[in-house]
Amino acid sequence: MRRFLARQASGLVVGICGAVAVAAAISAIAEPRAHGALPYLEAAAARLGHFAQGDFGQSAISGLPVLDELAIRMPPTLLLVLAGAVVALLAGLPLGLLFSVGSARRAAAPLVQIVTAMPVFCAGLVLAYGAVHLLHWPVSINLPPGTPVPPDQALQIAALPVLTVGLAGAASVQLALRRAAAQSSGEAFRSGLKRLGLGVFEIERRFVMPQVLAGLVASAGDIMLALLSAAVVAEWVFHRPGAADLFVKSVALADWNMTAVILLVFALLAFFTEFLGRIAGFVLANEGKP
Amino acid sequence: MSDTPVLGTVLRAAGWAGLGLIAVTVSLSDFLARAPAGSTQSGAMLHAPCDAHPFGTDLLGRDMLSETLHGLSQTAFHALLGAAVAVLCGGLFGAVAARLPRPVALTLRGVFGIFAAVPALLLTILAIGLSARFYAPLAAGLAAAPLAFVRAFDHVDIDSTHAEYARATGIPALTLLKRDLTFEFRRMLGSVAARALAAVTIILSTASFLGFGAEPPARDLGLMIAAGKASYLTAWWTAAFPALALILLILCARLAAGLDEGERP
Repeated sequence: MRRFLARQASGLVVGICGAVAVAAAISAIAEPRAHGALPYLEAAAARLGHFAQGDFGQSAISGLPVLDELAIRMPPTLLLVLAGAVVALLAGLPLGLLFSVGSARRAAAPLVQIVTAMPVFCAGLVLAYGAVHLLHWPVSINLPPGTPVPPDQALQIAALPVLTVGLAGAASVQLALRRAAAQSSGEAFRSGLKRLGLGVFEIERRFVMPQVLAGLVASAGDIMLALLSAAVVAEWVFHRPGAADLFVKSVALADWNMTAVILLVFALLAFFTEFLGRIAGFVLANEGKP
Repeated sequence: MSDTPVLGTVLRAAGWAGLGLIAVTVSLSDFLARAPAGSTQSGAMLHAPCDAHPFGTDLLGRDMLSETLHGLSQTAFHALLGAAVAVLCGGLFGAVAARLPRPVALTLRGVFGIFAAVPALLLTILAIGLSARFYAPLAAGLAAAPLAFVRAFDHVDIDSTHAEYARATGIPALTLLKRDLTFEFRRMLGSVAARALAAVTIILSTASFLGFGAEPPARDLGLMIAAGKASYLTAWWTAAFPALALILLILCARLAAGLDEGERP
Protein backbone atom coordinates (compact mmCIF):
# COMPACT_ATOMS: atom_id res chain seq x y z
CA MET A 1 0.00 0.00 0.00
CA ARG A 2 2.80 2.41 0.96
CA ARG A 3 4.73 1.72 -2.24
CA PHE A 4 1.58 2.23 -4.29
CA LEU A 5 0.82 5.49 -2.50
CA ALA A 6 4.38 6.72 -2.92
CA ARG A 7 4.32 5.88 -6.64
CA GLN A 8 1.02 7.67 -7.17
CA ALA A 9 2.12 10.68 -5.12
CA SER A 10 5.38 11.00 -7.05
CA GLY A 11 3.43 10.72 -10.30
CA LEU A 12 1.13 13.49 -9.10
CA VAL A 13 4.04 15.77 -8.12
CA VAL A 14 5.82 15.18 -11.45
CA GLY A 15 2.56 15.84 -13.30
CA ILE A 16 1.86 19.07 -11.42
CA CYS A 17 5.45 20.33 -11.94
CA GLY A 18 5.23 19.47 -15.64
CA ALA A 19 1.85 21.18 -16.04
CA VAL A 20 3.18 24.34 -14.32
CA ALA A 21 6.25 24.32 -16.60
CA VAL A 22 4.07 23.93 -19.70
CA ALA A 23 1.79 26.76 -18.49
CA ALA A 24 4.84 29.01 -17.96
CA ALA A 25 6.07 28.14 -21.45
CA ILE A 26 2.70 29.10 -22.96
CA SER A 27 2.47 32.25 -20.89
CA ALA A 28 5.98 33.30 -22.02
CA ILE A 29 4.69 33.60 -25.61
CA ALA A 30 2.90 36.75 -24.43
CA GLU A 31 6.27 38.32 -23.59
CA PRO A 32 7.00 40.77 -26.44
CA ARG A 33 10.81 40.48 -26.10
CA ALA A 34 10.82 36.67 -26.15
CA HIS A 35 12.12 36.26 -29.71
CA GLY A 36 14.75 33.59 -30.19
CA ALA A 37 15.41 30.50 -28.11
CA LEU A 38 17.41 32.06 -25.27
CA PRO A 39 15.16 35.12 -24.61
CA TYR A 40 12.16 32.80 -24.75
CA LEU A 41 13.65 30.40 -22.18
CA GLU A 42 14.53 33.38 -19.97
CA ALA A 43 10.96 34.66 -20.27
CA ALA A 44 9.59 31.19 -19.41
CA ALA A 45 11.84 30.97 -16.36
CA ALA A 46 10.74 34.47 -15.30
CA ARG A 47 7.10 33.40 -15.67
CA LEU A 48 7.78 30.38 -13.48
CA GLY A 49 9.10 32.74 -10.83
CA HIS A 50 5.99 34.91 -11.11
CA PHE A 51 3.77 31.82 -10.88
CA ALA A 52 5.57 30.83 -7.68
CA GLN A 53 4.66 34.23 -6.24
CA GLY A 54 1.02 33.80 -7.27
CA ASP A 55 1.27 36.33 -10.11
CA PHE A 56 -0.31 34.85 -13.23
CA GLY A 57 -0.29 38.07 -15.23
CA GLN A 58 -3.13 39.99 -16.85
CA SER A 59 -5.60 39.09 -19.55
CA ALA A 60 -4.68 40.64 -22.90
CA ILE A 61 -8.39 40.97 -23.77
CA SER A 62 -9.97 42.44 -20.63
CA GLY A 63 -6.87 43.85 -18.93
CA LEU A 64 -8.01 42.24 -15.66
CA PRO A 65 -5.72 40.02 -13.58
CA VAL A 66 -6.05 36.49 -14.91
CA LEU A 67 -7.02 35.04 -11.52
CA ASP A 68 -9.79 37.64 -11.05
CA GLU A 69 -11.34 36.78 -14.39
CA LEU A 70 -10.94 33.07 -13.77
CA ALA A 71 -12.69 33.45 -10.41
CA ILE A 72 -15.72 34.70 -12.33
CA ARG A 73 -15.60 32.20 -15.21
CA MET A 74 -14.50 29.01 -13.45
CA PRO A 75 -17.49 28.38 -11.13
CA PRO A 76 -20.03 27.97 -13.98
CA THR A 77 -17.70 25.49 -15.68
CA LEU A 78 -17.12 23.54 -12.47
CA LEU A 79 -20.86 23.49 -11.85
CA LEU A 80 -21.44 22.24 -15.40
CA VAL A 81 -18.81 19.51 -14.98
CA LEU A 82 -20.21 18.53 -11.57
CA ALA A 83 -23.81 18.37 -12.80
CA GLY A 84 -22.59 16.51 -15.90
CA ALA A 85 -20.78 14.03 -13.65
CA VAL A 86 -24.01 13.35 -11.75
CA VAL A 87 -25.88 12.72 -15.02
CA ALA A 88 -22.96 10.60 -16.26
CA LEU A 89 -23.13 8.37 -13.19
CA LEU A 90 -26.95 8.19 -13.22
CA ALA A 91 -27.01 7.19 -16.89
CA GLY A 92 -23.66 5.43 -17.25
CA LEU A 93 -23.72 3.22 -14.14
CA PRO A 94 -26.89 1.23 -14.95
CA LEU A 95 -25.97 1.02 -18.64
CA GLY A 96 -22.41 0.00 -17.87
CA LEU A 97 -23.48 -2.63 -15.35
CA LEU A 98 -26.12 -3.97 -17.73
CA PHE A 99 -23.63 -4.16 -20.60
CA SER A 100 -20.98 -5.67 -18.32
CA VAL A 101 -22.87 -8.95 -17.91
CA GLY A 102 -21.25 -11.62 -20.12
CA SER A 103 -23.80 -12.11 -22.90
CA ALA A 104 -25.13 -8.54 -22.73
CA ARG A 105 -21.59 -7.19 -23.05
CA ARG A 106 -21.01 -9.04 -26.28
CA ALA A 107 -24.43 -8.13 -27.69
CA ALA A 108 -24.18 -4.47 -26.67
CA ALA A 109 -20.70 -3.89 -28.09
CA PRO A 110 -21.85 -2.95 -31.63
CA LEU A 111 -24.68 -0.79 -30.25
CA VAL A 112 -22.30 1.05 -27.94
CA GLN A 113 -19.91 1.68 -30.83
CA ILE A 114 -22.70 3.19 -32.93
CA VAL A 115 -23.97 5.47 -30.14
CA THR A 116 -20.50 6.64 -29.09
CA ALA A 117 -19.49 7.40 -32.69
CA MET A 118 -21.42 10.66 -32.40
CA PRO A 119 -19.13 13.62 -31.58
CA VAL A 120 -20.19 15.70 -28.57
CA PHE A 121 -21.12 18.77 -30.64
CA CYS A 122 -23.45 16.65 -32.81
CA ALA A 123 -25.04 15.21 -29.65
CA GLY A 124 -25.57 18.75 -28.33
CA LEU A 125 -27.23 19.86 -31.55
CA VAL A 126 -29.45 16.75 -31.61
CA LEU A 127 -30.50 17.37 -28.01
CA ALA A 128 -31.32 21.00 -28.81
CA TYR A 129 -33.35 19.96 -31.88
CA GLY A 130 -35.27 17.40 -29.83
CA ALA A 131 -35.87 19.91 -27.03
CA VAL A 132 -37.28 22.50 -29.45
CA HIS A 133 -39.43 20.21 -31.57
CA LEU A 134 -40.55 17.55 -29.09
CA LEU A 135 -40.57 19.34 -25.73
CA HIS A 136 -41.04 22.92 -27.05
CA TRP A 137 -38.25 24.13 -24.78
CA PRO A 138 -36.38 27.37 -25.38
CA VAL A 139 -32.72 26.85 -26.36
CA SER A 140 -29.78 29.21 -26.23
CA ILE A 141 -27.82 27.96 -29.25
CA ASN A 142 -28.71 30.82 -31.57
CA LEU A 143 -29.16 33.54 -28.95
CA PRO A 144 -26.51 36.26 -28.84
CA PRO A 145 -24.17 35.74 -25.83
CA GLY A 146 -25.33 37.61 -22.74
CA THR A 147 -29.01 37.61 -23.70
CA PRO A 148 -31.03 37.73 -20.45
CA VAL A 149 -32.95 34.52 -19.76
CA PRO A 150 -36.46 34.71 -18.23
CA PRO A 151 -36.40 33.04 -14.79
CA ASP A 152 -39.09 30.50 -15.73
CA GLN A 153 -36.94 29.26 -18.66
CA ALA A 154 -33.60 29.23 -16.84
CA LEU A 155 -33.79 25.58 -15.80
CA GLN A 156 -34.73 24.37 -19.28
CA ILE A 157 -31.92 26.38 -20.86
CA ALA A 158 -29.41 25.11 -18.29
CA ALA A 159 -30.53 21.48 -18.71
CA LEU A 160 -29.27 20.96 -22.26
CA PRO A 161 -25.56 21.72 -21.68
CA VAL A 162 -25.67 19.59 -18.52
CA LEU A 163 -27.24 16.72 -20.49
CA THR A 164 -24.65 17.09 -23.27
CA VAL A 165 -21.75 16.93 -20.80
CA GLY A 166 -23.49 14.16 -18.86
CA LEU A 167 -24.00 11.98 -21.92
CA ALA A 168 -20.33 12.36 -22.89
CA GLY A 169 -19.42 11.38 -19.34
CA ALA A 170 -21.90 8.48 -19.38
CA ALA A 171 -20.16 7.06 -22.47
CA SER A 172 -16.88 7.20 -20.55
CA VAL A 173 -18.41 5.67 -17.40
CA GLN A 174 -19.94 2.70 -19.22
CA LEU A 175 -16.67 2.17 -21.13
CA ALA A 176 -14.71 2.07 -17.86
CA LEU A 177 -17.23 -0.35 -16.36
CA ARG A 178 -17.16 -2.62 -19.41
CA ARG A 179 -13.36 -2.68 -19.40
CA ALA A 180 -13.26 -3.49 -15.70
CA ALA A 181 -15.89 -6.21 -16.18
CA ALA A 182 -13.95 -7.69 -19.08
CA GLN A 183 -10.82 -7.80 -16.91
CA SER A 184 -12.57 -9.40 -13.94
CA SER A 185 -14.27 -12.01 -16.16
CA GLY A 186 -10.90 -13.69 -16.61
CA GLU A 187 -10.09 -13.81 -12.86
CA ALA A 188 -9.25 -17.28 -11.57
CA PHE A 189 -11.12 -16.80 -8.27
CA ARG A 190 -14.49 -17.21 -9.97
CA SER A 191 -14.08 -20.91 -10.68
CA GLY A 192 -12.41 -21.45 -7.28
CA LEU A 193 -15.30 -19.88 -5.40
CA LYS A 194 -17.79 -21.87 -7.47
CA ARG A 195 -16.02 -25.06 -6.46
CA LEU A 196 -16.29 -23.95 -2.85
CA GLY A 197 -20.06 -23.93 -3.32
CA LEU A 198 -20.82 -20.21 -3.63
CA GLY A 199 -23.65 -19.22 -5.96
CA VAL A 200 -23.01 -17.16 -9.10
CA PHE A 201 -25.03 -14.20 -7.80
CA GLU A 202 -23.15 -14.16 -4.51
CA ILE A 203 -19.78 -14.30 -6.28
CA GLU A 204 -20.84 -11.43 -8.56
CA ARG A 205 -22.20 -9.33 -5.70
CA ARG A 206 -19.50 -9.88 -3.09
CA PHE A 207 -16.35 -10.32 -5.13
CA VAL A 208 -16.83 -9.21 -8.75
CA MET A 209 -18.81 -6.00 -8.13
CA PRO A 210 -16.11 -4.39 -5.93
CA GLN A 211 -13.52 -5.18 -8.63
CA VAL A 212 -15.71 -3.62 -11.33
CA LEU A 213 -16.44 -0.54 -9.22
CA ALA A 214 -12.72 -0.28 -8.41
CA GLY A 215 -12.03 -0.26 -12.15
CA LEU A 216 -14.57 2.53 -12.61
CA VAL A 217 -13.13 4.63 -9.79
CA ALA A 218 -9.58 4.06 -11.06
CA SER A 219 -10.70 5.51 -14.42
CA ALA A 220 -11.88 8.75 -12.78
CA GLY A 221 -9.11 10.69 -14.54
CA ASP A 222 -10.31 9.56 -17.98
CA ILE A 223 -13.90 10.40 -17.04
CA MET A 224 -12.83 13.88 -15.89
CA LEU A 225 -11.05 14.46 -19.23
CA ALA A 226 -14.22 13.44 -21.09
CA LEU A 227 -16.28 15.83 -18.96
CA LEU A 228 -13.84 18.73 -19.48
CA SER A 229 -13.71 18.17 -23.25
CA ALA A 230 -17.49 18.03 -23.39
CA ALA A 231 -17.73 21.21 -21.27
CA VAL A 232 -15.66 23.10 -23.87
CA VAL A 233 -18.05 22.05 -26.61
CA ALA A 234 -21.24 22.50 -24.55
CA GLU A 235 -20.30 26.02 -23.44
CA TRP A 236 -19.56 26.96 -27.05
CA VAL A 237 -22.70 25.38 -28.52
CA PHE A 238 -25.05 26.73 -25.84
CA HIS A 239 -23.33 30.12 -25.33
CA ARG A 240 -22.53 29.57 -21.65
CA PRO A 241 -19.92 32.04 -20.40
CA GLY A 242 -17.58 29.67 -18.57
CA ALA A 243 -13.84 29.03 -18.41
CA ALA A 244 -13.94 26.41 -21.18
CA ASP A 245 -15.59 28.91 -23.53
CA LEU A 246 -13.04 31.51 -22.40
CA PHE A 247 -10.20 29.12 -23.33
CA VAL A 248 -11.40 28.93 -26.94
CA LYS A 249 -11.75 32.72 -27.15
CA SER A 250 -8.37 33.28 -25.46
CA VAL A 251 -6.57 31.09 -28.00
CA ALA A 252 -8.43 32.76 -30.89
CA LEU A 253 -7.43 36.22 -29.61
CA ALA A 254 -3.89 35.18 -28.56
CA ASP A 255 -4.45 35.87 -24.85
CA TRP A 256 -1.66 33.49 -23.78
CA ASN A 257 -1.67 34.33 -20.05
CA MET A 258 -5.31 33.33 -19.78
CA THR A 259 -4.83 30.29 -22.03
CA ALA A 260 -1.93 29.05 -19.89
CA VAL A 261 -3.79 29.36 -16.60
CA ILE A 262 -7.00 27.72 -17.84
CA LEU A 263 -4.98 24.84 -19.26
CA LEU A 264 -3.12 24.56 -15.95
CA VAL A 265 -6.36 24.45 -13.97
CA PHE A 266 -7.83 21.78 -16.27
CA ALA A 267 -4.64 19.69 -16.07
CA LEU A 268 -4.62 19.98 -12.25
CA LEU A 269 -8.25 18.88 -12.12
CA ALA A 270 -7.41 15.85 -14.27
CA PHE A 271 -4.28 14.98 -12.24
CA PHE A 272 -6.00 15.22 -8.85
CA THR A 273 -9.03 13.25 -10.03
CA GLU A 274 -6.78 10.56 -11.46
CA PHE A 275 -4.70 10.44 -8.24
CA LEU A 276 -7.72 10.17 -5.95
CA GLY A 277 -9.46 7.72 -8.29
CA ARG A 278 -6.45 5.40 -8.43
CA ILE A 279 -6.08 5.34 -4.66
CA ALA A 280 -9.80 4.75 -4.12
CA GLY A 281 -9.75 2.07 -6.82
CA PHE A 282 -6.77 0.36 -5.19
CA VAL A 283 -8.45 0.34 -1.77
CA LEU A 284 -11.74 -0.95 -3.22
CA ALA A 285 -10.03 -3.67 -5.24
CA ASN A 286 -8.05 -4.88 -2.21
CA GLU A 287 -11.09 -4.87 0.07
CA GLY A 288 -13.12 -6.91 -2.39
CA LYS A 289 -10.44 -9.53 -3.00
CA PRO A 290 -11.54 -13.07 -2.05
CA MET B 1 -19.25 -18.20 -27.11
CA SER B 2 -18.21 -19.19 -30.61
CA ASP B 3 -20.47 -16.48 -32.09
CA THR B 4 -18.42 -13.69 -30.51
CA PRO B 5 -15.21 -13.91 -32.55
CA VAL B 6 -17.28 -14.43 -35.71
CA LEU B 7 -19.43 -11.37 -34.97
CA GLY B 8 -16.34 -9.36 -34.10
CA THR B 9 -14.59 -10.40 -37.32
CA VAL B 10 -17.67 -9.65 -39.42
CA LEU B 11 -18.12 -6.21 -37.89
CA ARG B 12 -14.41 -5.43 -38.19
CA ALA B 13 -14.56 -6.44 -41.86
CA ALA B 14 -17.67 -4.27 -42.25
CA GLY B 15 -15.73 -1.35 -40.75
CA TRP B 16 -12.84 -1.78 -43.19
CA ALA B 17 -15.31 -2.23 -46.09
CA GLY B 18 -17.05 0.98 -45.02
CA LEU B 19 -13.73 2.83 -44.89
CA GLY B 20 -12.91 1.47 -48.35
CA LEU B 21 -16.24 2.67 -49.67
CA ILE B 22 -15.66 6.09 -48.13
CA ALA B 23 -12.19 6.18 -49.74
CA VAL B 24 -13.72 5.44 -53.15
CA THR B 25 -16.44 8.08 -52.62
CA VAL B 26 -13.86 10.62 -51.51
CA SER B 27 -11.59 9.98 -54.48
CA LEU B 28 -14.54 10.35 -56.85
CA SER B 29 -16.11 13.29 -54.99
CA ASP B 30 -15.39 15.82 -57.75
CA PHE B 31 -17.05 13.48 -60.26
CA LEU B 32 -20.00 12.48 -58.04
CA ALA B 33 -20.80 15.99 -56.81
CA ARG B 34 -23.27 17.95 -58.90
CA ALA B 35 -21.61 21.27 -58.22
CA PRO B 36 -18.05 22.39 -57.45
CA ALA B 37 -17.16 23.06 -53.81
CA GLY B 38 -18.62 26.32 -52.51
CA SER B 39 -20.75 26.93 -55.58
CA THR B 40 -23.57 29.20 -54.35
CA GLN B 41 -27.05 29.59 -55.84
CA SER B 42 -27.20 26.04 -57.18
CA GLY B 43 -30.83 26.21 -56.06
CA ALA B 44 -33.22 28.23 -53.94
CA MET B 45 -32.17 29.15 -50.41
CA LEU B 46 -32.89 26.52 -47.74
CA HIS B 47 -34.78 24.27 -50.15
CA ALA B 48 -35.91 21.01 -48.52
CA PRO B 49 -34.61 17.71 -49.97
CA CYS B 50 -36.19 17.04 -53.39
CA ASP B 51 -35.33 15.23 -56.65
CA ALA B 52 -33.11 18.06 -57.89
CA HIS B 53 -31.34 18.42 -54.53
CA PRO B 54 -31.57 15.09 -52.61
CA PHE B 55 -29.91 16.65 -49.52
CA GLY B 56 -31.61 20.06 -49.97
CA THR B 57 -29.82 23.42 -50.14
CA ASP B 58 -28.32 25.69 -47.49
CA LEU B 59 -28.64 29.40 -46.64
CA LEU B 60 -26.58 30.39 -49.70
CA GLY B 61 -28.39 28.01 -52.06
CA ARG B 62 -25.49 25.51 -52.13
CA ASP B 63 -26.40 21.92 -53.03
CA MET B 64 -25.96 20.02 -49.76
CA LEU B 65 -25.21 16.68 -51.47
CA SER B 66 -22.27 18.20 -53.35
CA GLU B 67 -21.12 20.12 -50.29
CA THR B 68 -21.33 17.03 -48.08
CA LEU B 69 -19.23 15.03 -50.58
CA HIS B 70 -16.61 17.79 -50.77
CA GLY B 71 -16.69 18.19 -46.97
CA LEU B 72 -16.28 14.43 -46.44
CA SER B 73 -13.35 14.46 -48.83
CA GLN B 74 -11.68 17.30 -46.92
CA THR B 75 -12.36 15.73 -43.51
CA ALA B 76 -11.21 12.23 -44.51
CA PHE B 77 -8.00 13.52 -46.13
CA HIS B 78 -7.07 15.67 -43.15
CA ALA B 79 -8.00 12.93 -40.67
CA LEU B 80 -5.80 10.47 -42.55
CA LEU B 81 -2.84 12.85 -42.30
CA GLY B 82 -3.51 13.42 -38.61
CA ALA B 83 -3.90 9.70 -37.94
CA ALA B 84 -0.54 9.01 -39.62
CA VAL B 85 1.08 11.58 -37.32
CA ALA B 86 -0.66 10.10 -34.26
CA VAL B 87 0.45 6.55 -35.14
CA LEU B 88 4.06 7.59 -35.79
CA CYS B 89 4.51 10.03 -32.89
CA GLY B 90 2.21 8.16 -30.51
CA GLY B 91 1.77 4.42 -31.03
CA LEU B 92 5.07 3.64 -32.76
CA PHE B 93 7.17 6.00 -30.66
CA GLY B 94 5.54 4.65 -27.48
CA ALA B 95 6.36 1.07 -28.47
CA VAL B 96 9.98 2.06 -29.17
CA ALA B 97 10.35 4.30 -26.10
CA ALA B 98 9.28 1.52 -23.71
CA ARG B 99 12.34 -0.48 -24.83
CA LEU B 100 14.84 2.33 -24.34
CA PRO B 101 17.10 2.37 -21.24
CA ARG B 102 14.83 2.66 -18.18
CA PRO B 103 15.64 6.26 -17.10
CA VAL B 104 15.10 7.58 -20.64
CA ALA B 105 11.94 5.51 -21.06
CA LEU B 106 10.45 6.70 -17.76
CA THR B 107 11.32 10.34 -18.51
CA LEU B 108 9.57 10.12 -21.88
CA ARG B 109 6.60 8.38 -20.24
CA GLY B 110 6.41 11.21 -17.70
CA VAL B 111 6.57 13.96 -20.34
CA PHE B 112 3.93 12.36 -22.54
CA GLY B 113 1.84 11.61 -19.43
CA ILE B 114 1.66 15.35 -18.69
CA PHE B 115 0.27 16.10 -22.15
CA ALA B 116 -2.06 13.09 -21.95
CA ALA B 117 -3.65 14.72 -18.88
CA VAL B 118 -4.93 17.61 -21.00
CA PRO B 119 -7.96 16.96 -23.24
CA ALA B 120 -6.70 16.37 -26.79
CA LEU B 121 -9.23 18.90 -28.08
CA LEU B 122 -7.66 21.69 -26.00
CA LEU B 123 -4.17 20.70 -27.11
CA THR B 124 -5.31 20.81 -30.75
CA ILE B 125 -6.89 24.23 -30.34
CA LEU B 126 -3.74 25.49 -28.62
CA ALA B 127 -1.45 24.07 -31.32
CA ILE B 128 -3.58 25.61 -34.08
CA GLY B 129 -3.67 28.93 -32.21
CA LEU B 130 0.14 28.86 -31.97
CA SER B 131 0.60 27.98 -35.65
CA ALA B 132 -2.12 28.36 -38.30
CA ARG B 133 -5.34 26.66 -39.31
CA PHE B 134 -3.47 25.13 -42.26
CA TYR B 135 -1.65 22.88 -39.78
CA ALA B 136 -4.87 21.59 -38.17
CA PRO B 137 -4.32 17.93 -39.26
CA LEU B 138 -0.78 17.99 -37.86
CA ALA B 139 -2.01 19.63 -34.66
CA ALA B 140 -4.78 17.04 -34.21
CA GLY B 141 -2.35 14.19 -34.84
CA LEU B 142 0.16 15.59 -32.35
CA ALA B 143 -2.61 16.19 -29.79
CA ALA B 144 -3.82 12.58 -30.11
CA ALA B 145 -0.24 11.27 -29.90
CA PRO B 146 0.34 11.54 -26.10
CA LEU B 147 -2.53 9.21 -25.27
CA ALA B 148 -1.50 6.79 -28.03
CA PHE B 149 2.08 6.95 -26.70
CA VAL B 150 0.99 6.18 -23.14
CA ARG B 151 -1.22 3.29 -24.28
CA ALA B 152 1.49 1.79 -26.48
CA PHE B 153 4.13 2.29 -23.77
CA ASP B 154 2.02 0.65 -21.06
CA HIS B 155 1.09 -2.18 -23.44
CA VAL B 156 4.71 -3.28 -23.81
CA ASP B 157 5.87 -6.07 -21.52
CA ILE B 158 9.60 -5.43 -21.26
CA ASP B 159 10.04 -8.36 -18.89
CA SER B 160 8.44 -10.85 -21.27
CA THR B 161 9.91 -14.36 -21.45
CA HIS B 162 11.22 -13.93 -24.97
CA ALA B 163 12.96 -10.67 -23.99
CA GLU B 164 14.61 -12.42 -21.03
CA TYR B 165 15.76 -15.30 -23.24
CA ALA B 166 17.02 -12.86 -25.87
CA ARG B 167 19.02 -10.91 -23.31
CA ALA B 168 20.38 -14.12 -21.78
CA THR B 169 21.55 -15.40 -25.16
CA GLY B 170 23.24 -12.10 -25.96
CA ILE B 171 20.92 -10.91 -28.72
CA PRO B 172 21.51 -7.16 -29.12
CA ALA B 173 18.77 -4.81 -27.91
CA LEU B 174 18.37 -3.32 -31.40
CA THR B 175 17.71 -6.74 -32.93
CA LEU B 176 15.16 -7.44 -30.21
CA LEU B 177 13.51 -4.07 -30.86
CA LYS B 178 13.32 -4.79 -34.60
CA ARG B 179 11.79 -8.21 -33.89
CA ASP B 180 9.22 -6.74 -31.51
CA LEU B 181 8.24 -3.97 -33.91
CA THR B 182 8.05 -6.39 -36.83
CA PHE B 183 5.92 -8.96 -35.08
CA GLU B 184 4.03 -7.12 -32.38
CA PHE B 185 3.44 -3.61 -33.73
CA ARG B 186 2.64 -4.91 -37.22
CA ARG B 187 0.00 -7.19 -35.69
CA MET B 188 -1.77 -4.24 -34.02
CA LEU B 189 -1.08 -1.65 -36.75
CA GLY B 190 -4.49 -1.96 -38.42
CA SER B 191 -6.37 -1.53 -35.17
CA VAL B 192 -4.06 1.27 -33.93
CA ALA B 193 -4.39 3.16 -37.24
CA ALA B 194 -8.19 2.79 -37.32
CA ARG B 195 -8.47 3.94 -33.73
CA ALA B 196 -6.23 6.92 -34.44
CA LEU B 197 -8.36 7.75 -37.49
CA ALA B 198 -11.53 7.74 -35.38
CA ALA B 199 -9.97 9.85 -32.62
CA VAL B 200 -8.39 12.37 -35.01
CA THR B 201 -11.63 12.69 -37.00
CA ILE B 202 -13.51 13.59 -33.81
CA ILE B 203 -10.83 16.06 -32.69
CA LEU B 204 -10.46 17.70 -36.12
CA SER B 205 -14.17 18.06 -36.77
CA THR B 206 -14.77 19.45 -33.27
CA ALA B 207 -11.90 21.94 -33.65
CA SER B 208 -13.31 22.92 -37.03
CA PHE B 209 -16.78 23.32 -35.53
CA LEU B 210 -15.26 25.69 -32.96
CA GLY B 211 -13.59 27.69 -35.76
CA PHE B 212 -10.08 26.22 -35.58
CA GLY B 213 -10.14 23.91 -38.61
CA ALA B 214 -10.69 24.31 -42.31
CA GLU B 215 -10.50 27.83 -43.69
CA PRO B 216 -13.33 28.99 -45.94
CA PRO B 217 -13.93 28.65 -48.86
CA ALA B 218 -12.61 25.09 -48.26
CA ARG B 219 -15.09 23.49 -45.85
CA ASP B 220 -14.88 20.26 -43.94
CA LEU B 221 -17.79 18.53 -42.21
CA GLY B 222 -17.20 20.27 -38.86
CA LEU B 223 -17.31 23.71 -40.46
CA MET B 224 -20.41 22.74 -42.49
CA ILE B 225 -22.22 21.68 -39.31
CA ALA B 226 -21.15 24.94 -37.63
CA ALA B 227 -22.58 26.86 -40.59
CA GLY B 228 -25.78 24.79 -40.46
CA LYS B 229 -26.22 25.56 -36.75
CA ALA B 230 -27.82 28.92 -37.55
CA SER B 231 -30.60 27.38 -39.63
CA TYR B 232 -30.93 23.71 -38.67
CA LEU B 233 -33.74 24.20 -36.14
CA THR B 234 -36.02 25.09 -39.05
CA ALA B 235 -34.07 23.44 -41.91
CA TRP B 236 -32.72 20.20 -40.39
CA TRP B 237 -31.00 19.05 -43.57
CA THR B 238 -28.37 21.82 -43.39
CA ALA B 239 -26.66 20.08 -40.46
CA ALA B 240 -28.11 16.55 -40.53
CA PHE B 241 -26.42 15.23 -43.69
CA PRO B 242 -22.91 16.49 -42.90
CA ALA B 243 -23.35 15.12 -39.35
CA LEU B 244 -24.46 11.72 -40.68
CA ALA B 245 -21.47 11.59 -43.04
CA LEU B 246 -19.16 12.43 -40.13
CA ILE B 247 -20.73 9.82 -37.83
CA LEU B 248 -20.47 7.20 -40.60
CA LEU B 249 -16.75 7.89 -41.03
CA ILE B 250 -16.11 7.65 -37.27
CA LEU B 251 -18.28 4.54 -36.93
CA CYS B 252 -16.48 2.71 -39.74
CA ALA B 253 -13.10 3.59 -38.22
CA ARG B 254 -14.23 2.37 -34.79
CA LEU B 255 -15.63 -0.87 -36.14
CA ALA B 256 -12.40 -1.42 -38.07
CA ALA B 257 -10.44 -0.85 -34.84
CA GLY B 258 -12.30 -3.66 -33.10
CA LEU B 259 -15.41 -3.77 -30.98
CA ASP B 260 -13.75 -3.65 -27.58
CA GLU B 261 -11.83 -0.50 -28.39
CA GLY B 262 -13.13 2.80 -27.13
CA GLU B 263 -11.93 6.36 -27.55
CA ARG B 264 -11.73 9.09 -24.99
CA PRO B 265 -14.36 11.52 -26.36
